[in-house]
Amino acid sequence: MTLLTQAFLLLWKDTLLELRRRDSLLTMFFFGILLLFVFNFAFDLAPDRIAEMAPGLLWLAFLFTGTLGLAQLFQAERENHNLDALLLSPLDGGALFLAKATFNLMLMVLVEIVVIPLFWILFNLRLWNLLPQVFLVTLLGTIGFCVLGTLMSALTLRARARELLLPLVLFPLMIPVILATIRCMEEVLRTGQFGDQIGWLRLLLGFDVIFLTAGVLIFDWVIES
Amino acid sequence: MRVTVDKLAKAFGFLWALRDLNLDLAAGECVALLGPNGAGKTTLLKLLGGLITPTTGAIRFDNATFSRGVPELRARIGLLAPADHLYENLTAKENLHFFTQLYNRNSVAPTLDAALEQVGLLQRGGDYVANLSSGMKCRLSIAKWLLLQPELLLVDEPYGVLDGSGVDLLESFLKQQCARGGIIIMASHHVSRVLSLCNRAVILSHGRLTFDEAKQRPWPSFDKAFSEFLPHGGS
Amino acid sequence: MTEQLQPIHKRKGILGGLALAAVLFSLCWSLAVAPPDAYQGEVQRIMYLHLPSILIAYLSYFLVFVGSGLYLWKREKRDDILAHAAAELGVLFTALTIIEGSIWGRPTWGVWWTWDARLTLTAILLLIYVGYLMLRSLIEDENRAAVAAAVLGIIGFLDIPLIHMSVYWWRTLHQPPSILRPDKLPWENVHPSMLTALTISFVSFLLLYFYLLSLRYRMGEMRQEIIARRLERGA
Repeated sequence: MTLLTQAFLLLWKDTLLELRRRDSLLTMFFFGILLLFVFNFAFDLAPDRIAEMAPGLLWLAFLFTGTLGLAQLFQAERENHNLDALLLSPLDGGALFLAKATFNLMLMVLVEIVVIPLFWILFNLRLWNLLPQVFLVTLLGTIGFCVLGTLMSALTLRARARELLLPLVLFPLMIPVILATIRCMEEVLRTGQFGDQIGWLRLLLGFDVIFLTAGVLIFDWVIES
Repeated sequence: MRVTVDKLAKAFGFLWALRDLNLDLAAGECVALLGPNGAGKTTLLKLLGGLITPTTGAIRFDNATFSRGVPELRARIGLLAPADHLYENLTAKENLHFFTQLYNRNSVAPTLDAALEQVGLLQRGGDYVANLSSGMKCRLSIAKWLLLQPELLLVDEPYGVLDGSGVDLLESFLKQQCARGGIIIMASHHVSRVLSLCNRAVILSHGRLTFDEAKQRPWPSFDKAFSEFLPHGGS
Repeated sequence: MTEQLQPIHKRKGILGGLALAAVLFSLCWSLAVAPPDAYQGEVQRIMYLHLPSILIAYLSYFLVFVGSGLYLWKREKRDDILAHAAAELGVLFTALTIIEGSIWGRPTWGVWWTWDARLTLTAILLLIYVGYLMLRSLIEDENRAAVAAAVLGIIGFLDIPLIHMSVYWWRTLHQPPSILRPDKLPWENVHPSMLTALTISFVSFLLLYFYLLSLRYRMGEMRQEIIARRLERGA
């Protein structure tokens, strides 16, 4: 069984579990929306400033929402010692990594598909034509988040104060992604195109590729006992 | 398959859980792993299953040293943990499908159904595992290993959750595995049952192997070794 | 009672002595011999501490990377000890760099902190490796902690170039992005006598660093010895 087929099998299993319990998706979803509301009270979101603040606010919302998802990511493996069952099997660690990262990506994309247009509506942004570029940047950034986040989620799986430790180790490493996505989005919302900020997209792509590869190679060591 | 355990030792922090363990197992052996709580039985099973790594020493399967870097070896080893290693929110059948696919075994519906029928769970195939009793979960685990056919099967304390017919099912399954040339190592406190099933007994005490013999009738050496750590002399 | 110093202790003593002498010499040179800066005046002298500090910090993080990689590959405890020691020293020197930068910033820019590229980068580095140390301390099992820390040590180091690029681009918004080019390389456009002072300072810091590293490494070794002895006694 190849790496990809194993990954697909695990992804099928996680998707099935999520469809049944909908633990993660709904929580992430409502949390993301809740954050938008809180931002409205926390910041002065005047109509003339909202376009500049949008990328930062959106990304803050996604970071926190995504972290919720990451914290839940290995829940099915924590019950009934199921991680042991996977370690026992001929499963390649890289396949588990791909499956979990993809699963978190799916959840986050679903949340983003709703939250971004909702943000546009709630704050009266008229830049509907720019949504495709915004989604592209968000997607690349989310991939980076999920890839690195899955690694960190697994690393901190058996640590104490896990919910606190996970953001602590993850967020500093995420700074390239945060900067890249927000700067890119700012440029898009300001001028309608990427312009000279296109270099950020390349950085994002590089980030995604590097840590995806690293994750696949290294994950066996991450999950061992 | 031959399993060779060579000077195996495992320490957790400042304590040795296992020390200086040497063991040689051949196909068709059904080994009873006995000893008081904390003797190291579960540790030994986890080491053999590759769930933890030894501090010193080695485990060899057919002369190939066992390490996590060899997934092919892992496919031939199984661990029967009574109500564990099952996904609560998948159905019984989905669990079987998942694991048979994972191990690259036959996973078509009729095969899965046949296994479910053998363990008496055909009617419950579409039920979520969360809704099954622990006895049924254990039966499901048996069905799983029936399908996966490991050459080495490790069993950890199965008798606690099974009812009468479940026990019969387990024992006939284990006997079948041995007859097919598999190796079974079963840790349990139910000494009399385990002894009737197995053809070899190994006793661990404080992490060391204190007794290792093939079954005999009568077995005075076993009675002596066993009575040394059990005040009431077995069940 | 006279103690016989073993050769390695003697060597460490010599290194320590050398380091101390070098640091004192360097301080004298930096404070007295090197000329004051044409624009910044005497305040500029803190660069003789600031620059070597950050370079040493980077060296340290590179050692974390090397130690982590070796540990994952060979699983020799000494590589793990090296990585841990280097991480602690790296955090120390990074914190020093930030404090020194802040002390320099106050008279120069009028503020204790600014989000310019260099300071921000240094702060991020500090966060990453503080996270590394926290990860180590929050995982109970030593071996798991070592493996987890090693993975983080590698991932963190791989991320550093990316963080560099992104922070510098962020701070130079409308210039075309280029790889790893800070506003100026430290040794360009520097007066030769200042360069001398800088080199002396750097060498002294290097000696100091390796002395501290050897001490911390020895601590780690001793800890391992204690564990090994307790295990022996418990056998």
